[in-house]
Amino acid sequence: MAGYLIRRLATAIIVVIGITLVTFLMLHIVAPEPALTILGPKATPAAIRAFNHAYGYDRPWYEQFITYLNHLLHGNLGDSPKDNQTVVSLFKEKAPLSAFLSGVSLLVAIVVAIPLGIYQAVKRNSVGDVTATTVAFIFYSMPVFMVALILIQIFALSLGWVDPNVSQDQTLGGALSSWPELVLPIVALATTTVAAYSRYQRSASLDVLAQDYIKVARAKGLPDRLIYTRHLIRNASLPMITLIGLSLPALIAGNVLIENAFNIDGLGLLFVKSLQNDDYNVLLGYTLLTAVLTVIGNLIADVALTLSDPRIRLV
Amino acid sequence: MAPLLEVENLSTHIQLSRSMVRPVENVSFHLEAGETLGLVGESGCGKSMTGLSLMGLLPPGGSLVDESSVRLAGRELVGLPDAELRKIRGNEIAMVFQDPMSSLDPTKTIGYQVAEPVRLHRGASKAEALERAAEVLALVGLPRPKERLNDYPHQLSGGLRQRVMIAIALACEPKVLIADEPTTALDVTIQAQILTLLADLKDRLRMSMILITHDMGVVAGHADRINVMYAGRIAETTETRKLFAGMRHPYTQGLLASIPRLAQDNTQRLFTVPGLPPDLSNPPAGCRFAARCTYATDKCRTDEPELVGADDEHEFACWHPVNGPLQLATTQVRETPPGEPADPAAPPRKPLLEVTELVKEFPVSGGLLQRSKRSVKAVSGVSLSLGPGQTFGLVGESGCGKTTLGRMIVGLDKPDSGTVTLEGQQIDALRGNELRRHRRDLQMMFQDPYSSLDPRMRVGAILREPLQIQGIGSSKEQLERVSDLLGEVGLPKNALERFPHEFSGGQRQRIGLARALTLNPKVIVADEPVSALDVSIRAQVLNLMKRLQASHDLSYVVISHDLAVVKYLADRIGVMYLGKMVETGGGQDIYERPVHPYTAGLLEAIPIPDPQVEARKDGGGIKGELPSPLDPPSGCRFRTRCPLAQDTCAQEEPAMRKFGDGHFAACHFPLQTPVLETVAPAGAADGSGEAPAAV
Repeated sequence: MAGYLIRRLATAIIVVIGITLVTFLMLHIVAPEPALTILGPKATPAAIRAFNHAYGYDRPWYEQFITYLNHLLHGNLGDSPKDNQTVVSLFKEKAPLSAFLSGVSLLVAIVVAIPLGIYQAVKRNSVGDVTATTVAFIFYSMPVFMVALILIQIFALSLGWVDPNVSQDQTLGGALSSWPELVLPIVALATTTVAAYSRYQRSASLDVLAQDYIKVARAKGLPDRLIYTRHLIRNASLPMITLIGLSLPALIAGNVLIENAFNIDGLGLLFVKSLQNDDYNVLLGYTLLTAVLTVIGNLIADVALTLSDPRIRLV
Repeated sequence: MAPLLEVENLSTHIQLSRSMVRPVENVSFHLEAGETLGLVGESGCGKSMTGLSLMGLLPPGGSLVDESSVRLAGRELVGLPDAELRKIRGNEIAMVFQDPMSSLDPTKTIGYQVAEPVRLHRGASKAEALERAAEVLALVGLPRPKERLNDYPHQLSGGLRQRVMIAIALACEPKVLIADEPTTALDVTIQAQILTLLADLKDRLRMSMILITHDMGVVAGHADRINVMYAGRIAETTETRKLFAGMRHPYTQGLLASIPRLAQDNTQRLFTVPGLPPDLSNPPAGCRFAARCTYATDKCRTDEPELVGADDEHEFACWHPVNGPLQLATTQVRETPPGEPADPAAPPRKPLLEVTELVKEFPVSGGLLQRSKRSVKAVSGVSLSLGPGQTFGLVGESGCGKTTLGRMIVGLDKPDSGTVTLEGQQIDALRGNELRRHRRDLQMMFQDPYSSLDPRMRVGAILREPLQIQGIGSSKEQLERVSDLLGEVGLPKNALERFPHEFSGGQRQRIGLARALTLNPKVIVADEPVSALDVSIRAQVLNLMKRLQASHDLSYVVISHDLAVVKYLADRIGVMYLGKMVETGGGQDIYERPVHPYTAGLLEAIPIPDPQVEARKDGGGIKGELPSPLDPPSGCRFRTRCPLAQDTCAQEEPAMRKFGDGHFAACHFPLQTPVLETVAPAGAADGSGEAPAAV
C-alpha cells in the first residue's frame, strides 16, 4: 500500500505539472498581452514594454513557465493585478465558503441518494421507483443554474421564505450566521448530484440483487431487512466510491454556476470575474486547484475502495 | 411412517409482463428420511424451480398455485406466513447452489457467512456461532478451518468455496438438503471430491438430499431414486438401477442414448432426440414430449398422460411406454468418412499442422515499479501434430492451458517461443497481410454461443463478415455462399435476416460452426464446442461436426474438459496438466490403457451414466487441488497430487516415453510398461513429430 501511494503521488505530480503546462500555453495564446488588460487600451508602447519587462513577459514562454513552476514550489501563485492581492491570499479568502457549499451539498447528496437508489432497486418498478426515476431524469437533464433559478423563483420570490439577496458579509463565518440564505444554493447543488448518484446507486443495487449470494442469504432464512443491511448496501455502494471521488471537481465546477446565480462571493465567482478581466494568474491558479482536486479525489477513492473491498489490494 | 417430505400437485407460475410461464406443473413426489432423490432433466425442465419452490424462494412474479402442497414431517409449508417460512429455510431445509464463485458475499469473511444462519436460527452469540462455523468447516474438509475463518471468498479456490457453501447449508443441521447442480461449475476431479463429501455428510448427519442435476452420470452414482423431469412435469420416477436398466419413458431412453460414452465406438453417429423442448408460456396439449417423440400418435398430441405405473415404485407418464434402454448398436447408422486412415490411432502420414514446443507465459504485474517478476506459466513446451481430415482432442481441467494453446494455434495469441506450422508455413512468424491470408485456413469455434455472436448483427452479416474482410467474391457470391452454409449446418434460409437472440443455444452453436466454415478452413479449433449445450442438443451438434468433417476434409483441434466428448470426436487425444502435455495417444489407448496417473485419475473421476459402474468406484480419484501456475511444482508438475509420487518426481522432470504406436506419456512411474526404443532422432521415430519432447 505504501509503495502504491508513493507511485500514485509521483504520477500525480507529473499530471499536475502537465496540466499546468497545457493551461499555461493555452492562456498564453488566448491572452497574449496582459499589459493591455492591466494598463488599459491607451497605454503607450514604451509603458507596455516597461510593464512586460518588469513582470518578465518579454522572455520566451518556456522561461516564463519555469519561473512560474519555481514560484509554485514556494507556494506563490503570482499576483492578481486587478485585486492587488496575491492569488494565494485571494484563494485563502474565498475558498472556505466554496468548500463549505460543495462539502455540505455533497454530504446531503450522498445521504439522500444512496438510500434512495437502494429503495428504488428493492422496490423496482413500484410507483415510488417510477416517480423517483422521473424526477431524477428531470433534474439530471437540467443545468444546475436552471435549478437555482427555479428554486429562487419558488422559495424566495413566490413564497418569500428566504431573502433572494444573499448578505454581503461573505466570509464563511458571516455566511453561517445567516445560514438560511445558504439553504437554496446547497439544495440546488445537491439536487442534480442526487439525481445522478441515485441512478448509479439504483443500477448498482439491481446488479447486486441479481447476484447468487443474495439468493443464498434468502435461503439462509434471513429477513429482507437483514439481507439489505448485511449483504446489499456495502456491495452496492462500492461503485459509488469511485464515482464520488471522480465527481469532486464537478462540484467545484457546479460552484461556478451556483455562486453566480446566488451571487455568493466564493471561488466560483472569482473564476468568472477573472475570466472577464483576463486575470491570468487567477485563472491559472484555479485550473491548477481543480487538477489537484481531481488527483486527490481519485486517490481518496482508491484508498477508500481498498479499505471497503477485501478483493482489492493496492500493490 | 409418512415420508419426510411430501410434495403434491406442486405448480409454480411466473407472471411476466406479457405472458405467464409455468415452469413447474402438477409435480408430486416424496422424499424418505435418509434418502437421496435425483431430479434430472435438461435446462428449462423445471428442476431448479422445483427446488426453489420447496424453499419458498420464488423469483419476482412467481407464485404457487392453490392446490400445491409441500409437507415437511407432516407440516404444511405452502401458505405459511413468510416469518414462519424463514424459520424453516436454512434451518430445516437448506440449499446449495451451482456457482460457488458468485454464491458467497465477496465483502464478508467466510466465518461470518457460515456463522450467519447459526446466529439467526439458534440465537447463538457471535463467538458461539463462529465456533460452530469452524466446526462445520472442518466437517466439509476445509483445511485448518480455525485459521481461515477470517478469509474472504476470493482467497479460496472454486472447490473450497463450494465446501464453504455446503458448510453454510449444513450449519444448522437441516433435515433436507437441496443441492442444485452443486458440481456443475467445478472441474471433474473436484466434482468427484464434492459428490463424495455430500454423500458422506448426508449419512453422517442423517439428512435427506434432493440432488438436482442435468448429468445422468452424477445421479447414477449418487441417487437412490430418480425423478426425470421434462417441460415442467415428471416424466418418469423410479429407483436408480431400475431407471437405467428398464426405463419406460421414451424421453428417458433418448436422454441416456444421446450421451457420448467413453466405451463407445466413435465411428458411429450419436443417437439424437430431434427438436427443442416446448415453450412453457404456451405448453402444447397432450404429452409435452410428443413433438420430439418417435413413438407419438394422435392420442399423445391431444390427451395428457398421467404419471402412473405397474407399481408404486416405478411410475411414468406415457401412452406408449418403451421397455428398457435403446440397443445402441442396432439403432446406429455406421458412417465411414472418406479418406479416413484405417487405424485412427495411427500417426498422421504427412502432418497438416505441426505445433512444436509452444510456450506462453502471462506476466503478473507487481512491485514498486510495476516490473513483473512473476508470470503465469500457461503453456510450457507443448508439441502436437495433426494430419488432414483428422481430429486432435485436448483434455484437461480448467487452468491446464488448453485454451491458450488453442488460441496460439489460430494465431490469436503469440507464443513466447516454439512454432506453429501449417502445410510447411510457419504461422506464428507472419504479420499483417500474410497473416490475414493464412487466417483463412485456421478458424475457431467458441464455447459460449451467447457471447460469441455480435447481438446487433444479423446472422447473414455475421456469416458474410469473414468473406468481406478477406475480400472474397462479389456480394452476390458472398450471399450464395452464406445461404449454402446455412443449409449445411441445418438452419433455414430465413435465418439470414434474423438476430442471434432469436435462436436457441444449439442453433447458435450451428451458426458459430457455419462462421468458422465460411472461409473453407483447413483446421478448426473448437474450444469446448458443446459444453454450454444440453445433452440432447449436444448430440446433434457433435453429429453435425463429424458430418462436416467428412464432407469438407476438415481437421479439428477439439478442446474440452469432457473426456467423453473428446473421445467421440478425436482420433488422437492429448491430456494436459498445468501447461504440460502428460500423455498423448489414440482414443482407445487413453481410455483403455492410460499410462499417466493423472489420466487414470481423470477417467476415474468422470461420472458414468451407469449405476453399476458407479457403484464399483471406490471413491479414490485425484486428491487436492490444482497448484498455482505462477509457481508450478518442480520436476513432474502432477507430483503434488499423484498417489505414486516419489522423490525422483520432485527432482527430475519426466521425459516423454513411448508406450505403443503413437502412445506417449511423461511419467517416472507409469501404469504401463514403456516400449523399449532404439535410439532414434526425436520426432523421426514415428514420423509424427509428436515424439519425445526432450525437456
